[in-house]
This record gives sequence, structure tokens and C-alpha cells, in this order.
Amino acid sequence: MTWAGAHRLIRTGVATELNRGWSRRDCKSETNTAGGRRKMTSIRKFRCEDLLRFASVNLDHLTETFNMSFYLTYLARWPDYFHVAEGPGKRIMGYIMGKVEGQGESWHGHVTAVTVAPEYRRQQVAKKLMNLLEDISEKSDKAYFVDLFVRASNIPAIKMYEKLGYVIYRRVLRYYSGEEDALDMRKALSRDVDKKSIIPLKHPITPDELEYD
Amino acid sequence: MTSMLGALAGAGAGAVAGGLPERRVRPIWDAIDSRQFKNALKLVSALLTKHPNSPYALSLKALILERTGKPDEALSICLKAKELLFSNDSALTDDLTLSTLQIVLHRLDHFDLATSCYEHACAKYPSNLDLLMGLFNCYVRESAFVKQQQTAIKMYKVAGEERFLLWAVCSIQLQVLCGSGGEKLLLLAEGLLKKHISTHSLHEPEALAVYIALLEQQEKYADALEILCGNLGSLLPVEVDKLQIQGRLLACKGEYYAAAEVFEKILEICPDDWECFQHYLGCLLEDGSRWENRTIQDKLLKMEISDDQTPFFADDLFDVRISRATGFVQKLQEKSGSDFIRCPFLADLEIERKKLLHGQGDSNKLIEYLVLYFSRFGHLACFTSDVELFLQVLSPDERLKLLDKVLKISDSDSLGPVKKLGRSITVFKFQEMTRNAGQIPVTDIEDSALEMVQMYCDNLPLSKDLDQQESMHGEELLSMACNALVQLFWRTRNLGYIMAAVIVLEFGLTIRRYIWQYKMSLLHLYSFLGASSLAYEKYKALEVKNILLESVSHNILPQILVSPLWTDLSNLLKDYLKFMDDHFRESADLTCLAYRHRNYSKVIEFVQFKERLQCSNQYFLVRVELPLLQIKQNAHNVDEVKCILEKSRSGAVFIGLLNEMGSKSLTFNEDLETRPWWTPIPAKNYLSGPYEDISNISTEELVKERKALLPKYIERRCLLPRMIYLSIHNAFLLKDGVEANGSVPDPNILSELMSLLERYAKFLGHPLNVALSVIGDVARGSKSVEVFGADLIDWVNLAVFFNAWRVSSHEEAKVAEGYNFHCWKDVDSLLKKCLVHKLETISTDTSIMSDLPLILQLMTEPLAWHCLFLQSCIRILVPSGKKKKKTGSGDHSSPKLASAVRDSVQSLIGFMEELQKWLREWVVKSEDDNLKRQFLSMTSRGGAEGPEKVYKILKDTVSSASSAEVGDRIMGALKSWNPSEHVLRVVAEQRAMLLQTLSICESRIGALNALNKQIGQV
Repeated sequence: MTWAGAHRLIRTGVATELNRGWSRRDCKSETNTAGGRRKMTSIRKFRCEDLLRFASVNLDHLTETFNMSFYLTYLARWPDYFHVAEGPGKRIMGYIMGKVEGQGESWHGHVTAVTVAPEYRRQQVAKKLMNLLEDISEKSDKAYFVDLFVRASNIPAIKMYEKLGYVIYRRVLRYYSGEEDALDMRKALSRDVDKKSIIPLKHPITPDELEYD
Repeated sequence: MTSMLGALAGAGAGAVAGGLPERRVRPIWDAIDSRQFKNALKLVSALLTKHPNSPYALSLKALILERTGKPDEALSICLKAKELLFSNDSALTDDLTLSTLQIVLHRLDHFDLATSCYEHACAKYPSNLDLLMGLFNCYVRESAFVKQQQTAIKMYKVAGEERFLLWAVCSIQLQVLCGSGGEKLLLLAEGLLKKHISTHSLHEPEALAVYIALLEQQEKYADALEILCGNLGSLLPVEVDKLQIQGRLLACKGEYYAAAEVFEKILEICPDDWECFQHYLGCLLEDGSRWENRTIQDKLLKMEISDDQTPFFADDLFDVRISRATGFVQKLQEKSGSDFIRCPFLADLEIERKKLLHGQGDSNKLIEYLVLYFSRFGHLACFTSDVELFLQVLSPDERLKLLDKVLKISDSDSLGPVKKLGRSITVFKFQEMTRNAGQIPVTDIEDSALEMVQMYCDNLPLSKDLDQQESMHGEELLSMACNALVQLFWRTRNLGYIMAAVIVLEFGLTIRRYIWQYKMSLLHLYSFLGASSLAYEKYKALEVKNILLESVSHNILPQILVSPLWTDLSNLLKDYLKFMDDHFRESADLTCLAYRHRNYSKVIEFVQFKERLQCSNQYFLVRVELPLLQIKQNAHNVDEVKCILEKSRSGAVFIGLLNEMGSKSLTFNEDLETRPWWTPIPAKNYLSGPYEDISNISTEELVKERKALLPKYIERRCLLPRMIYLSIHNAFLLKDGVEANGSVPDPNILSELMSLLERYAKFLGHPLNVALSVIGDVARGSKSVEVFGADLIDWVNLAVFFNAWRVSSHEEAKVAEGYNFHCWKDVDSLLKKCLVHKLETISTDTSIMSDLPLILQLMTEPLAWHCLFLQSCIRILVPSGKKKKKTGSGDHSSPKLASAVRDSVQSLIGFMEELQKWLREWVVKSEDDNLKRQFLSMTSRGGAEGPEKVYKILKDTVSSASSAEVGDRIMGALKSWNPSEHVLRVVAEQRAMLLQTLSICESRIGALNALNKQIGQV
């Protein structure tokens, strides 16, 4: 895994996401095998062989194609957070990858990437995938919130996340390759009764102040 | 590395790590982590002076040495540490030491040594869980499934933990799925699990999934259902997951009706799950084909199968079931409030299709449903792919009827502009799908193309406020227009259409530069036009990397393999190999990670995926193409070529690959859907042949054909390095033979080359003697070069290598009786005939660019192999240094050989000069290229002909657009558009390819002249 890879922005047609990165450090969190409430489109867990079929989604210029250990680490550790949406004819419509991490009240689901093929954009596929990840974070892992990082300039994506209930929690300065700021957006889950997790920070932070890498 | 530090973390003052004081070890790790290897080495050396026999300190030193690029020293230190571990009973054998050693040995590709260290340690401390786990990981790295199983069982016995039992069960499954274990082993795994459950139950959902999978693998569906519906079923927290498994098990068991009920429940929760609906309907109609005769992996992975086999089903029962489905679907439709839920509406179509297949349907009803589906979802980009399946059951007339109705609707409805545009695009696609392309008049296709381009331009204002990174409205129109324009070229052979397609796509990229579909089509168009560097530029713009190298690079690989872009080719091949080899190196670690995180299904998936990549046809091909390229690049220097060959054990590695290929079946991981219509598979390009009706050619058939042919091609390529080596080596043996009293060269080498020749000839479909007869006939003019067909290069290769064998075999007289092939003479004449034949064909045609690759290949492959052999011969004829004038007792054969070599070199020079002259003429001609002329007329005239009309639309758009209408960004892009730039670049790049070919030709002539000079000294 190269840092450069993790720092690039991933996006969907309307919306896009990426987390700051990923660490080889062994996480102690337990993985729980739960699915989510799959509604509408056929959504199923991502499998290795899908990596050979997602070209039409990943050729999109802002969808990063990570190295294998990145994908396989997500599959090995958080398979319930890696889903693919399929349309009739087994066409890959899009996929979402994420993880669960943190301690105590910062135990949260994280959206690492969500992307949708051009053919299936403007059909709420990203929304369905996001809802699924939120569902798993909420019900299977009893997380307090879900978060994601987005380029501060990616207005369409930010708008979409706002529609899905995400708020801007804080700004991370020069997060993307030391150039562009990221917005850390969050959505509180029911376990965070007082919605403490989403009270916006007044001041921006720098990448080295992030709790998780 | 961090896990090592993790192991140190928490160690307090006076703590010990690997038997050494932690305070001494930590700075070393810190230095390694911060890549201060010099400092690390200093620290570890100091540590070693105090603890010279500490295996841990030695392992650390080895690690640092390996990191600083000293693999040999690292290995010898590892061996020393290993020796200490084995010989010194008091030496501390802990996981920290062994895992450090393992990291180094892994990087040095010596898994076996790491494994033996762990084996030794585990024998010494049989209850140490850390060590056993380390050993288990070693076996994972070696894919030693049986040993994994045994180790996991040991761990299970030591710790009694559920996870270790599951590790053992997974290892058993792997033996059955990926190893040589029989299915009976599954019974053993089942027994192990049963016993554990009876005393400890199960606690993890993944464990339950493994148990159920195990029962399914043995077709014990009833048992699996019982488990699922019993207490253990509560391990699955999500109802839908559980129902999915239940439905599948019931269907596999043949209880279709009950299964259908389960699928109904799922659809109530997930009304848009199309796959589930297909399962539901299949079960209602008791269609077992969805579930029967499928391997367990298929079942588990829910792979798509043909569902058109309608089982025998009594009419009355069919009616009952269909009406149940209809009623249920109606309920779903009523409940679905969202505009985005398509499944219940598509379900109407599927029910009607099933009725038709059963002989009860009414195609008018299907048409009616299709029209309804269109009025609801016609604006969506996925509409046509949704309904593709249903059009297949309609007759051509019915499709036209449908098209009529759809056209009426699209005219009459009032929609917002975006939806309206979406619908219009769908109508275009629909027209394409419903009409037989071959029967549509050229003018109609042209009208459609123009209309598409016009529509794209007219709708630019819709995208006025979009971010550049967002897909624009109507983007697809230009891809579709390109498809139509290429079709027009195919039918009319008017190159202007191809150029119009190029211009249209480049125009689109000027407005939004991110559209990969445009780039992909351009890549193929530029390849077709022979502008390989432009094609490669577009490929690079696609940013193909990592796993996409496996699934997407087929779009460029075949073309670039036969282009003169050797540097780019070399980079492409190296990047690909690096990706694959990196994955193979790290894959086992990730499998270990999946074990550790108890995601057992991923363990199986990872192992199977690695195998799939290891058997990739591309992987086999690229591995052999890289050294072949290097040989081609160094064909003037036989010593360099020998060095290159040494890296693959003189080409023997590739003979090993052939054997590997024989034992496994190759996998095809290319995503062919990324290719444009005119080249559906890498080996096929309709544009290079005359127009034909392709409506009946299915891509599946082409793919099947490719899968049958490609392994044979790869096998032929794999034989080449060894044959090159043997032919060069033979010549040197000849030297030995000459000097050693004229004795015959190493018979093993000769017989090996002969057996490879026989093998090579077999690929061409003939026994060797027959193949050589054919070659002899062609060489002497009694047969045309055309008999070689598409395998011309292979035939010439055979002739070249046979010549090398025969010259060295000293059996010329004897073999002459058996083979109708004249040594030397026939090879020279054959090379010349092939080249002349090619040049003659081209001079009567304008296909220079499409034939250039073959000329290049002829010059850089068979001719180069022959030159290498000639160089080796000259070496023995003109020994260097003092021996120059000294001749051996076998001297009698030299004059004959010298004269043959001299003739051959001169003959090669002769026709290479002819080629040079011819290439120079083409370079001059390319200045006044046909394409350029066509374009110039296209842009200067008023737009009377098709390609010109396309250009006119674009030109008018640029001149009439305003910032107010299309926004500043698009306006800026329009202003910057310069169509002549694209055409001129194509022409310039074509010329550049000619020049590069010419330059290779000239360098070859130079090398041949040098040889001629050398042979002149004899």
C-alpha cells in the first residue's frame, strides 16, 4: 500500500469518497458477520472475482484502482463492509468499501470508497450502498456514527452526503497529497443518543492530528 | 515490521526480546522502520559482538542486509542463525526470532528454510501456540493444505478454540477444492465440526457458514436446512441472509414450492432484487436447471446460468404458478413507491417471456409490457441492457412493431429536457437492437450518426452548470455516433468515416477529458490506423494499473506486441509482471490475515483467486514475451542474447511453463466488455476484413474459439527461447566438434532441438517432414506464400531452426533423403519470398499500416533468430585472437560452412536493402497521405458527403455557441478545439511508425554488413 494511493480521491459519478488511508497495523476490532438490510437492487458481498469485472466502474478517472493488498485486506478484515450492486445481466453497477474502527464512543463505521458506473448513475445506487453500510454499522457493529472524507472542492458529492444526513464535522487541512483539504463528514447513529459525535469542530485540524490513519 | 514493534511494546525496563535486552533491540527496529539501515547495521553489529550466537540478533542483521540489497549475505546469515537454532539446544527459539527470520527468508524466496525452522521449533515446544501459528502460516505460504490441517488440529488440541478447528476445516476444504483431496475428506471435516458442536456449540456466523457450505458440498441439503433452522441459525443476524440460504437449500433439495415461498419473503423486503426474482420464478416453475448440475462453487457463488430450459410442466399447473407470480408481482408494484425500483416492472416482462417459452405466451402482451417499461424507465441509461433479454424472444417483425410503438410514445410524451434526452438516446439504442444492421441502408446509418452528433451538440447547454468531473448529459451519443461511423467505414471503405469518428471522439474529449469510453474507442481506432504511439497514449490516459492490468490491458497488448514501440512494450510487460508477482508474493500473507480474522470464506476465495491469476493466459504469454522482446532488441549481439537466456535457464524455464500449462487449464480474466463492437476479442477486427453480416456471430462463440486457439499460440511462443538457445548453442558445439576431431556435437542438444521442432511443426498441424516439404515448396516457388495463412511467422521460424539443427547435425546427407528441404538455400529464399510477397500485396493496396506489423515481425523474429545463428557460425569460423589462423582437424567442413554463411548473409543484406528502399519510398509517400488528403477535402468542401457533414455539425456548433448558453467552461473548450491537429497527428504518427521500422531495418543492415566483413576474413 502506498501512501500516495491512499491519498487520492475516489468518487462516484455524483458522489465520491475516500478515507484518508489505511494501516497495516493489526486492528484489534472484532469482525462480525452480519449482512445488511438489502433493499432494492441486488446487492451482495464483494468477492475477489469482482475485481476482474469492475473495469467499467474503475476506468472512471476518479475511481482509484488500489493495489491488491488494499482490497484483500478489506475483504479479509471487514467483508461485511464491502458490497457490490449488480443489475440485470450481472452487470456491476457500483460498489462500496468500508470498515469499522475506533474505541469507546468513537467506535464508528467508515466509508473508504463508494463508486457507481456511469450507466447506472442518477439512480440512487450510491444511496442504497451507503444505507447498507450505515445499517451494518448500526445494527451489527453497534457503532456510534459513520464517517467519510471528501475533497472540499467536490461540491456535488458533499451535497449528496448532506442529503443522506451527513454533516461536516471538521476540515482536515491539506489532506489530499498535501494539497487539497478534506471534509470529514459524519452521520450519527442511534447509539449516539445525544448526537455528540457530529457536533462540528470549530477549528480545522492537520492530518497528523487524525485519530486513525 | 510494525507487528514486531508491537511485540516489543509493553515490555518494561529490563524486558527481554528474543533473548536480548529490549533496550538494545528497540533502537534497531526504530532505525529499520525509519530506513536508517546504516545506523541499524551499526547497532546490530555492536549487539552481535556481545551476543555473537544470538539467532535473533543474526536475524536482525540478515533483515537489514536484505533491505540494503545484499541478498547473498543476508541468506548466509540466515543459514547461520538456522544452524544455531538447530544445533544449540540452549539457543532461544521464540516466535519473535523465527518470524523475523521468516520475513527475510520470504523476501529471499526461501520459504522452505523458514518452514523448517518453525518445524524444528514446534517439535521442540509442541504446545507453544505462537510457534504453531507461525508454522501454520508457513504452510499457508507453501499452499501445503494437508500440513495446514494437521497443524491446525494440533492447535485445536492445545487450545480447544473454535477458530483453530475452523482453520482445519478450511484446510480440508482447500484440499478438496484446490488440491488433490477427494470429497470423502469433507466427511472428516463434518465429523470434526459435529463433535465440536456437540460439546461447545458454535459461536461465529462464519463458522456456521462454513458448516452449511460443507454440507452443501456433500449435497446434504436436508441436514443443512435443519442446522439453519435450528438454534445455530440465530448466529445469522440478518434475516435476508438467512432466507437466501434457506431458499437456495430448499431449491437444491427439489422443494421448489417451499423455496419460492422463501424467495417471496425476500422480495417483500427487497423488491428490487432482480436475481431473487429470477430464483423465485424459476422455483415456481420448478426449473431445477438453476440449481442442478452446478458445482458447489457455482452454487455458493450464485453464478449465472442459462435459465431458458423450461422443464416439462403440465399446462394447468403452469397456469396456477404463473398466476401466483403475476399476483405477487402486482402486489410488489403497488407497494413500490419509488421511481427507481425497476424489478417488479421488469418482472412482468420475465413472466411473459416464460409464458412464450412455454408455448403459452402472447408476444403482443410482451410488446405491451416493453412499451410500458419504456414509458416508465426509457430515460435511464440502463434501459436497453435491462430489456435485451426480452427482445431475443421476439421475431424481427415483432421488434419492428415494438420500435414503432416506442417511437410514437417518445414523440408524444412531454418530459423534462434531461429525461427527454435520455429517452432519445434509448430510442437510438433500441433502433440498433431491433434492426438488423446489415439491412439498414448506408444513408440511414449516416443520418443516425449525424442526428446523434447534432443531438449531443444541441444538448450541451444542459450540462452548463455541471462540474467537469461529473458525467455530462448525452455523453453516450458520441460513442454511439462513433460506432455508426465505424460501421459506415466498414461498409463503404471510405476512410473519411474513420477519421470522422476520431474527430467526433476527440471533440468530446476536448469538452470533457475524462470519458474513458471515448479513449478506449480512440485507442482501437488509432491502432487500426497504424498510429500505435497515439493508441498507446490513449491507453496510458486510461491509467490502467493493478488488477486492471489483468482485465483491461488486452485492449493494447496484441497491437503493441507487434509494433516498433519496444520501450513502451517493455514497460507494459514489466508493469504487468510486477503486479502479478507482487500479488503472488503477498497473497499468502493476506490469506493468513483472513484466517486470523476468522473470515473463512475469504480464505477459500483468496486461494482460488491466486490460482486463477497464476493460470492466466496473459501471465503465461507476458512471461515469455518479455525475454523474446529483449532478444529482439539485442539480436545483433549473440553474447548479450546468451546472457538474457541465462536468466531463464537457457529458455528451459519456458519449457517448464509448457508442462505447467499441460497440467492446468488456462484462465481468461480479460474483461471483453470494455472493447468496441468492431473488435470483440483481441484476435478479431472486423474492419480488417470485408463487410459481412455479423448479426449471427455471437461473442460467446468467438470467445470459445479464442480459448481453444490461444493456448496453442502461447505454447509456440514458449518454445522459442529454448529453440533460440539450442540453435546458438549448436553452432558453438559445432566449433567443439570441429576442433575435437570432427566428432558429432552433443547428441542431447541436437535431439532436444529436433523434438522441439517436431512439437513446433505439430502446432502448425503437420508432422515435421510434411511441414518442411511445404516450406521447401514455397521456398522453391512451387507453392505460394499464401499457403502459410495467418501462421506465416511460425512457418519461417520452423525453417530457420531446422536449418540450425541440420547444419550442426552433420547428418545433412542422411536427412536430405527424409526432408524435402534444402539447408541454407531454402531459408534464404523463404525469407525473401515472404517479404517480397508482403511488399507486393501492399503495393497494390493502401493497407501499408496494417501490414507493417507483419513485416516488422518477420524482420525482428525469424530473421533475427537466423542472424543469431549466423553470428554463432561466424564465431567458430573466425575465432578471435591468435587462434584466428589455426584450424582444427575438422577443418574440412569449414569452407563449406563459410560459403553457406557468406551466401546467407549476403542474401539477407540484399533483400533487407530492398526493404529499406521500399520503406523509404513509403516514408516519402506518407507526406502526401491519403488520409490527410481526404481530411483536407472534408474540411474545405461544404459538407456534401457523410464525413464532411459530421465535421460541419461540429464546426457550426463551435461557431454558434455562446458562453451564456453552454457556460464558460464548455465555451472555452469549444474555442480550443482544433480538428486539423488530430488528423495531422495521425499522419505524423503513422509516419513515425514507418521511420521506426526503417530505423530497425537499417540497424539490421548495419549488423549484417559487419557480419559480412567478418566472414570475409575466412
